[in-house]
Amino acid sequence: MIKISWKDRLFTGTITVLLILMAFVALIPLISEISISFSSKAASDRNIVNLWPVEFTLESWKYMLTKGNIWRAFGLTVLSTLIGTFLALLITSLMAYPLSKKNFPAAKYVMLYVVFTMIFKAPMVPYFLTLKGIGLYNNFWVLVFPHILTAYNLIIMRSFFKQFPDEVEEAAQIDGCGKFRMLFQIVLPSSKAVLATLGLFYAVPMWNQYQHPMMFIQDVKLYPLQMKIRQIINGGGDLQAIAAVRHVNYTEATLSAAAVVIAIVPILIVYPWLQKFFAKGAMLGSVKG
Amino acid sequence: MAKETAMEKRRKGNFLRHMERHWPYYVMMAPGVIYLALFKYIPMLGSVIAFQDFSIVRGVFGSAWTGLANFRKLFQYDDFYKILRNTLILGGLKLVIVFPIPVILSLMLNEIRNQKLKKGIQTVICVPYFLSWVIVGGLVFDIFGAGGLFNNIRNALGMDTVLVMQKESWFRPIYVISSIWKEAGYGTIVYLAAISGIDPGIYESASIDGARRSQQMRLITLPLLVPTVLTIFLLNIGSFLELGFEQVYNLYTPMTYSVADIFDTYVYRSGIQQGQYSFSTAVGLFQSVVGLILVVTFNKLSQKYSDDGGLW
Repeated sequence: MIKISWKDRLFTGTITVLLILMAFVALIPLISEISISFSSKAASDRNIVNLWPVEFTLESWKYMLTKGNIWRAFGLTVLSTLIGTFLALLITSLMAYPLSKKNFPAAKYVMLYVVFTMIFKAPMVPYFLTLKGIGLYNNFWVLVFPHILTAYNLIIMRSFFKQFPDEVEEAAQIDGCGKFRMLFQIVLPSSKAVLATLGLFYAVPMWNQYQHPMMFIQDVKLYPLQMKIRQIINGGGDLQAIAAVRHVNYTEATLSAAAVVIAIVPILIVYPWLQKFFAKGAMLGSVKG
Repeated sequence: MAKETAMEKRRKGNFLRHMERHWPYYVMMAPGVIYLALFKYIPMLGSVIAFQDFSIVRGVFGSAWTGLANFRKLFQYDDFYKILRNTLILGGLKLVIVFPIPVILSLMLNEIRNQKLKKGIQTVICVPYFLSWVIVGGLVFDIFGAGGLFNNIRNALGMDTVLVMQKESWFRPIYVISSIWKEAGYGTIVYLAAISGIDPGIYESASIDGARRSQQMRLITLPLLVPTVLTIFLLNIGSFLELGFEQVYNLYTPMTYSVADIFDTYVYRSGIQQGQYSFSTAVGLFQSVVGLILVVTFNKLSQKYSDDGGLW
């Protein structure tokens, strides 16, 4: 065992303290928002809430969860994310599998076709007009379709498939296994980790998406969660009028804080999985071939 | 004549044999190929409206062609230089200030011996990455708003309340701070993985030679991390113009448009909200073409530096 010098101890100790401080600072925005959402009208009006709720109350949360009209938006986001992730994994694995085959001559050209979409982005206006032209304006499916295939995720899946042992597939082929069965019954069942990772790579942006619904959805009934939250933050949804009523224990500020925290909670619940698989994915992304 | 038919026959035979063997592959790729055509390539081709005086009623085929008129207008337009300048400044700030933070954080995290503590800190600093810009924008507006934490602290220190979000001079700091808060933690993952790939033998022999931990960090970890840092840096320059519509859109206010407006937000307001289709497409096309040149150039460079570098 090598003796640790006091200089090393000081160095490590300083860094540890600094990092703990930074981690705390990183949490401050969340702590502050949570505190506001649990504070009373009087405390919020006097701007005295910092890092701890003042005159703790559940009123803002109660209002948001029962009358805030967020459940519809929440449901639409859950639904579109589930459908979208399923479709994305299906279409991505279907396309990545042939592209991973060395003996498939067309793969080269199709890869070029895929990669070009990564380097040249269609300008926003013709993109908008095209999607509007195929009927995606004010349509639930605009939350799903634009996000179900990205070149980046396709390339990750392709390089994963490339590492699949040829012998297994050859043996199956000799037994008369067709290409579709090969993909769905042999390759995909042993690709669960990559499917989970890419599933989350697709799901998180879909859950968090704001630009597409903002461009395409006018109908308030079709607002997904992020649109609804933004509307609440911006003082839409008549919060000011609602909070102006006497004898209530919330303000516009506490209500919008509650809405923001409510939108964060689902992310925190699945966070352990997000962290695990995104760390895996960051590694997968660097293994290209 | 007879020779030719024989060759044709053979070619046909080859084609049939190819299809017999590979048809399932074509079927598998079909949905993806059609998808990309519809959602990527048709909109790309739709860029031709930048050379037209496009009207929705007449459509792409009925609208009058105007050649380069929209581009001439663009280069004479003050607003164009404003958004170009904003894009360059915000992109530059991202490269110079935001980019090094995860590298520094990773070097620091690597020094923590207690694995549980290290994991705990990583867990905390990665959370913001998964929150949407709508939520981050909401948090920023609350913290920096009139009655928010930031102004409470200022007041406690005897300073005046500042309307941060409405002040032009504050937009860039807010942009940088929010980028760091949201992305720096997640950025450490790839660097920490690179560090964990360093041969522990190097550290052992260094400490036998009496190298202190600070020297090991500076003389071993950092230099061995440079190729990874360089690869990611080059890729970041390649995507220089993609500053993130959602970030700016959720942080700016009409009072800060003059310093905050970037290509994407400008095109959104002028093209989609105000319906100046052709002109906005010209702006967007300019951005896409410059973006293409940047991505291709810097991707090439990053491939030069490492075998598995580059986007493709």
